[in-house]
Amino acid sequence: MSILRNRITTKILTVASTLFGISVFVFVVLRVVPGDTISSSFGIETSALTPEKIASLKAYFGIDKSLVGQYWTWLSGFVSGNFGLSYHTGVPVTSLTLHSFPVTLELALLATIIGVTVGTLLGFYSASQPGGRRDFVGQIFGLMALSLPSFVLSTAIIAVSANKLHYFPNGFEYAPPWVNIGLNLQQMMYPAIVLGIAVAAPVMRTARSSFIEVQDKDFIRTAIGKGVNPRRVRFVHVLRNALNPIVTMTGIQFGYLLGGAVIVEQIFALPGMGRQILDGITKREYATVQSTVLIVAITFVLINLLTDFIYQKVDPRIR
Amino acid sequence: MFTLSKKGPKALAVAIAAALGLSGAISLGVTSSASAAQTLNIGISADMDKLDPHTSTNFATVRILGLVYSELVESTPDLKIVPGLAKSWYWNSDSTQLDMYMRPGVKFQDGTPFTAADAKASLDRILLPATGAASRGNLSLVTSITANRTQLTIKFSAPNAPFLAALDGVNMAMLSKKDIDAGLIGKKVNGTGPYKFTSWSPGTSVKLATNADYFKGAPSVAGLNFQIIPAESSILSALNAGTIDFSYIGNPAVAKQVGSNLVMQKTSSLSYHVLQLNARKAPFDNVNVRLAIACAIDRQAVVDSAALGEGAPTGPLTMPAYRSSLKARPCATGDVAQAKKYLAAGGYPNGITIDVMTEGGEYALATPIALSVQSQLAKAGIKMNIQALDAATYIPKWLAGDFGAAVANNGGKVDPDTMYTRYFTSTGNLNKVAGYSSATLDALFLKGKSTGNVTRRAAVYTSITKELETQAVWVWLFTPYDYYVSSKSLSGFTPNPNGSLLELRNVKLS
Repeated sequence: MSILRNRITTKILTVASTLFGISVFVFVVLRVVPGDTISSSFGIETSALTPEKIASLKAYFGIDKSLVGQYWTWLSGFVSGNFGLSYHTGVPVTSLTLHSFPVTLELALLATIIGVTVGTLLGFYSASQPGGRRDFVGQIFGLMALSLPSFVLSTAIIAVSANKLHYFPNGFEYAPPWVNIGLNLQQMMYPAIVLGIAVAAPVMRTARSSFIEVQDKDFIRTAIGKGVNPRRVRFVHVLRNALNPIVTMTGIQFGYLLGGAVIVEQIFALPGMGRQILDGITKREYATVQSTVLIVAITFVLINLLTDFIYQKVDPRIR
Repeated sequence: MFTLSKKGPKALAVAIAAALGLSGAISLGVTSSASAAQTLNIGISADMDKLDPHTSTNFATVRILGLVYSELVESTPDLKIVPGLAKSWYWNSDSTQLDMYMRPGVKFQDGTPFTAADAKASLDRILLPATGAASRGNLSLVTSITANRTQLTIKFSAPNAPFLAALDGVNMAMLSKKDIDAGLIGKKVNGTGPYKFTSWSPGTSVKLATNADYFKGAPSVAGLNFQIIPAESSILSALNAGTIDFSYIGNPAVAKQVGSNLVMQKTSSLSYHVLQLNARKAPFDNVNVRLAIACAIDRQAVVDSAALGEGAPTGPLTMPAYRSSLKARPCATGDVAQAKKYLAAGGYPNGITIDVMTEGGEYALATPIALSVQSQLAKAGIKMNIQALDAATYIPKWLAGDFGAAVANNGGKVDPDTMYTRYFTSTGNLNKVAGYSSATLDALFLKGKSTGNVTRRAAVYTSITKELETQAVWVWLFTPYDYYVSSKSLSGFTPNPNGSLLELRNVKLS
């Protein structure tokens, strides 16, 4: 019982210090880079602002306080659910995030489903004939998918779909799933495929290695020796025991998709978290960037916890 | 609320989506309604940044709010100043007093009538330092503003011939006095323009509805739906797919891909690309170094390489009425030998190294221009280091004059006074950015401001051009083109070189 309690305490402390470190890092980086909310808001007309106006704007943007004061104001607000205000739009960051988070979450989920399905099946296919023709095909796919930048694939898809087939659902205004599920899924289809392929490559390579490793284990040979149906050996004994690294890789890739899909969101005009962070950085909207990054980090941490939980379900030895 | 152009792709979409197991219940067949068919869908690459027309300098904001607000005057596509909310005006004999008469029967979108009191309140708000208005400098000579119901009288401390042109543009928008008094500007959008503001979903869309009471006649489309599509290549794809009807494109590489299935209107912009030299910093404080740089650059070669031939070499003045002659500039077509002579005369016979900052992000041509200039300067023995910065870093350095040289894309104006007084007069609010001023330029700009006759004014601005170019204050490179692309079902749009989309009030969708 005390071991369990210690493990939970350690986990909570690790999570809290990770999130604190991320929040401080983002806060400091934003202030170290030149430029501020005022100059990005007023552009070249900043030079026309009087010192009084600049002082009042600094107070309005909350950048007249000391750095510690600014951090504390933001963090205490964040903890109480007030993520700050996007001064350019006049919209609370909470409200912006309520719109952008579902977009990114849905995209990440769909891409992960595609990536894990394709990657695991291909890994399985490759491992069924290590060094043989199947392995060659699987390895080539993995290498191509890893080497192909997502913006190239996105552009190619759009070029064919929009220019040849005259079909480009992302040219319509973004439709949330609860407004128009049909249009929403069409708008998610291409970006999910692009990101899914990017996810499939590392999953495929991980799955392949894991399958090959498990296939050589004594208990598999024993099962085969005892005359268990080879298909049952492959799909039950090998697959189940090879899942742990695949779950780990899936968790990492999903976390990457939450914050790293900026280019795909830009090309396919999806108003997700990546674009929210990018806009925030461009406009030096400190609260927007800090809060959004922390939300991504919290989600990532939660996914890691979920991955740990899935481990225990998949592999009883970890319990 | 949307239509798809062909059945084949729908089936393909269903097949792919179903194969991927995305959903078993995708509904694709949505019929467009009558009102949706008349709404003009427009793709824009950048979002608005605020709702206050007086303080925004963001292109998207200025363009969109320019359709919602009106000004006392407006400029036509051939850049003539014509009546807007003011139906007529009269100058006194020495151009120190302007009497403007307001158009009767005009209403704000909330139904309240527009009067001279609203015009006065709007100009007073621009003049108020606390507003931080972008065009406050346009009113620098104003000494008093008085209003009765239909008449607005503006008095100036000195003759102010260019003032009418300075009243154009959404930064000089007429707002409701009631809203100003209530502190609602920037929160509530209430204009007198052809369209009413409906909604703004940051990062997604801006929606406008037709203003049936518009004083120049209600537009024929039901409204405008601006969709934010960050990549210009994706905007072109959306036009090709028929999901949007209209857009404007800034990147010539994308514009070159526009096919015959679409209609493209190309117009020379008033804005210009320039290599700014800061004459207050070494080595650019040496006029021979500046002239060497100016001579080493062949502007047409920059256009051909950086902008794929899409642009025209320019001098300081880009507006048709006062356009600078290119023949008068030193080394009009680039002269490497002369550049080397200037460099030697400046004390650098063995060449020189300079740093040039460029802005990344939305300024797509910054890096190609910098690379083109870099290769040309190298031929004259000038090694150029490029410092690529993001916009939020570049702008504060630029404003503070904290640079030696910079590649910039600066906006143009209809009148040379409003375009350059703020840069090249010693008291101009952007003189630190210009990095140069002189008693000669101060006197010439003052003369230009007080001269009403167009021919005599043109002579003054020719002298200003000559002074700027012979001193190689900056190296003006070229004016780009603006590209307005639409589907063939759209008609009635005429581009304006000042970038305004006001002519969307006249479009028709078949």
